[in-house]
Amino acid sequence: MSAAPALRIAQPAETSETPTRHLDIAPTRAQRRARPRVYAALVAVGGIIVILLAQLLMSIVLADGAYRITSLQREYRDLAREQNAAQERLAQLSSTQSLIDNATALGMVSSGNPMFLDVATGQAYGTVAGPRGQTVGAGGNLIGNALLDGTTMLDPAAIAGARSAEVLAGTAPTPADGGNVTRTGVTPERETGGALPSPTTR
Amino acid sequence: MIDARTNRRRLVVAVLAIFAIVIVFSIRLVDIQVVRADSLKTVAGTNFRTDTLWGTRGSIVDANGTVLATSVDRFNITAAPVNVHPAGFERRVEVDGTRKLVRVSVMEALQEISDITGADVQEMYTALTRDPDAQWALLVKGIKLDAFRAVVALRIPWIYSEPQPARSYPNGAIAGNLVGLMGTDGPLSGTEYRWNECLASHNGQVSYAVSEDGVRMPGSEVVETPAVDGGTVHLTIDADLQWYTQQALAEQGTAIGADWGTAFVVDVKTGKIRAAADWPTVDPNDLNSAGADDSGARSFTAPYEPGSTIKTATVAALLDAGKISADTRFTIPSGYTIPGVGFTIRDSVLHGGGLRYTTAGVLVESSNIGIAQMTELMSLEERIRYLHAFGFGNGTTGADFLGEDEGFVRPAPSDPITSVTQQFGQGMTATSAQVASLYQTIANGGVRMPLTLVEGCEKPDGSYTDVPDGEGTRVVSEYAADTTMRILEGVTTQYHLARVLAVPGYRIAAKSGTAEVADGDGYGSERIVSIAGAFPVDDPQFAIVVTFAKPVTMRTSAAAAPTFNAIVKQVIKTYRVTPSTEPAPENPLTW
Repeated sequence: MSAAPALRIAQPAETSETPTRHLDIAPTRAQRRARPRVYAALVAVGGIIVILLAQLLMSIVLADGAYRITSLQREYRDLAREQNAAQERLAQLSSTQSLIDNATALGMVSSGNPMFLDVATGQAYGTVAGPRGQTVGAGGNLIGNALLDGTTMLDPAAIAGARSAEVLAGTAPTPADGGNVTRTGVTPERETGGALPSPTTR
Repeated sequence: MIDARTNRRRLVVAVLAIFAIVIVFSIRLVDIQVVRADSLKTVAGTNFRTDTLWGTRGSIVDANGTVLATSVDRFNITAAPVNVHPAGFERRVEVDGTRKLVRVSVMEALQEISDITGADVQEMYTALTRDPDAQWALLVKGIKLDAFRAVVALRIPWIYSEPQPARSYPNGAIAGNLVGLMGTDGPLSGTEYRWNECLASHNGQVSYAVSEDGVRMPGSEVVETPAVDGGTVHLTIDADLQWYTQQALAEQGTAIGADWGTAFVVDVKTGKIRAAADWPTVDPNDLNSAGADDSGARSFTAPYEPGSTIKTATVAALLDAGKISADTRFTIPSGYTIPGVGFTIRDSVLHGGGLRYTTAGVLVESSNIGIAQMTELMSLEERIRYLHAFGFGNGTTGADFLGEDEGFVRPAPSDPITSVTQQFGQGMTATSAQVASLYQTIANGGVRMPLTLVEGCEKPDGSYTDVPDGEGTRVVSEYAADTTMRILEGVTTQYHLARVLAVPGYRIAAKSGTAEVADGDGYGSERIVSIAGAFPVDDPQFAIVVTFAKPVTMRTSAAAAPTFNAIVKQVIKTYRVTPSTEPAPENPLTW
């Protein structure tokens, strides 16, 4: 349609020529300029196709991402819940009541008169005296905790097993080599070879 | 000419085509917007989902960050009865490598849930069949994560779930009196209630479109309101020391058959409460673990007649006013008859009179008669002013505990008996917290610091709202306070309870109290016994008060002495208080 005005302008030239000679119409400047519009149309249509394709691809990617996001969000939520549950369990295990019950089961007792040892000078402060008066905690814990259902207790058999395994391996101190028989620690006791910093007492 | 006609025809065709397209679109538009609007809206609505974003209620922690109250995840198992097929459902299971379908009946499914959660099958069945057309029915409430996952793994098609955040108190009854209780609809008491503004969380909402297979449509999410987590309330107490004081109270309270007991440990210089124990104490995890009377904090809310521990305030006031000195001489008769009313005050240990006590002797030996004689040295108004200044009957301790009581001091003009007896703690009332505040004041050189129980509120974004340190107020002069401390040291060195109260190597000031308890008609045989004090005398750091109400087997302050001693030793260990370096000076009790 855009070529119409160009043709109309060319008409006078046609009538002035003799009809016997076949002549080609020399394209005017306007016509020459009009020709690239076909390319423009092609580019436009091509562009639209490319955009549509890109959109299609993008929505495919987005949809894929949506599934991924949903699954990651679910995983995040599940892991957060797991962390919360682990934290809850940790709080239960580290509750004072759980520690006391386990310590009592292992034969630990609370100390009596307070004594301090100055690590720098190796001097002891306080007066040596045996436990006197009310020995708090000796009769077992009286402060309730409804959360403890017995699952926080260490298994005495497991402790005994660990200790006998140590004895068999020869790593546990025995009374014969001066080891303290009354020691009943949970952590297997090892000779540290002076690895722990200890004060030089005089 | 042909070209022109062709052009015109093209134009007409083009215009007609455009009109046709517009008409087609218009018809479609009317069809969608008007004709099928309702059905389409329904479809869109079901694909648009609104979820709750759960905010987490904040924790309550002690001075070292030990968690006393926190929120935990719990889950409710719900069902859609409308989806339940009476014939059960088919479950795909793999047996020996071959897949097959197994029919699971409704009862079998419920039994499986019951095996995991311990819920009653019959109850669940009733909930499920109450309304067969219902979309929602609650089957099991508040189960833990592992049980929840096990139920989900059963793949029962009509089972749904919803999160149900719950409150948990990992340390049980430790500080249960201070933390308070949470009901299903919100906080009920204690710090949970008082500090709800800091702790409370706000749930948010998110809306989004979902595809048919339940996946969020990208870009469709609209967060209407974001969830806001609650803040953390930091208490000043030490949970381990709190346990120790509660345990000490429980042991001794049981042994002497007391009704209840309280104990306080207060940082003398700052007024920070390091332990505020009540026995019995409620375990906030289990609201039935204590009776209604025992589920609060008597230490703050229950005033009683404290008895002789108040004599400290009387002596400090008279020292401050310059009316007496530590060695002022008093001759104690066998009784003190209040002029005009014929009421005679006697000492707890009856004696024939003629005792020659110094001020120190009156206080250490806890002579009611001596204190009554001292009241003659100061006007009633002045004495009441001092009691008010020490905080009795005049506002709370500053700890701002929910329901904290102010105690009671009879204002002037008082009746003649009370005006004398309230100077040794009868006829007036105070809470354990107020008695602790008195000993904090005396130990702190006469400057009363408001007690604090809460350090501050830490919001999830890290911002910290500090509870401002209270301004100290001078009640008595440093001389009066220090002299009183030195006199009180005599209770752990010269008094008959000295052997029980003393800790070798430490200089400890203490005062015994054995108060008569008023019942319907006057004072009966019941007693409230206490030991209050502070240590070390050469550099006071902690004030400690131990009180037992209505002991049966031992009705004197000797019942509270071993517990006071045990708590002092524990405070020494907890805060590494080093032994005193100087010996106690002379403290003559008689002349």
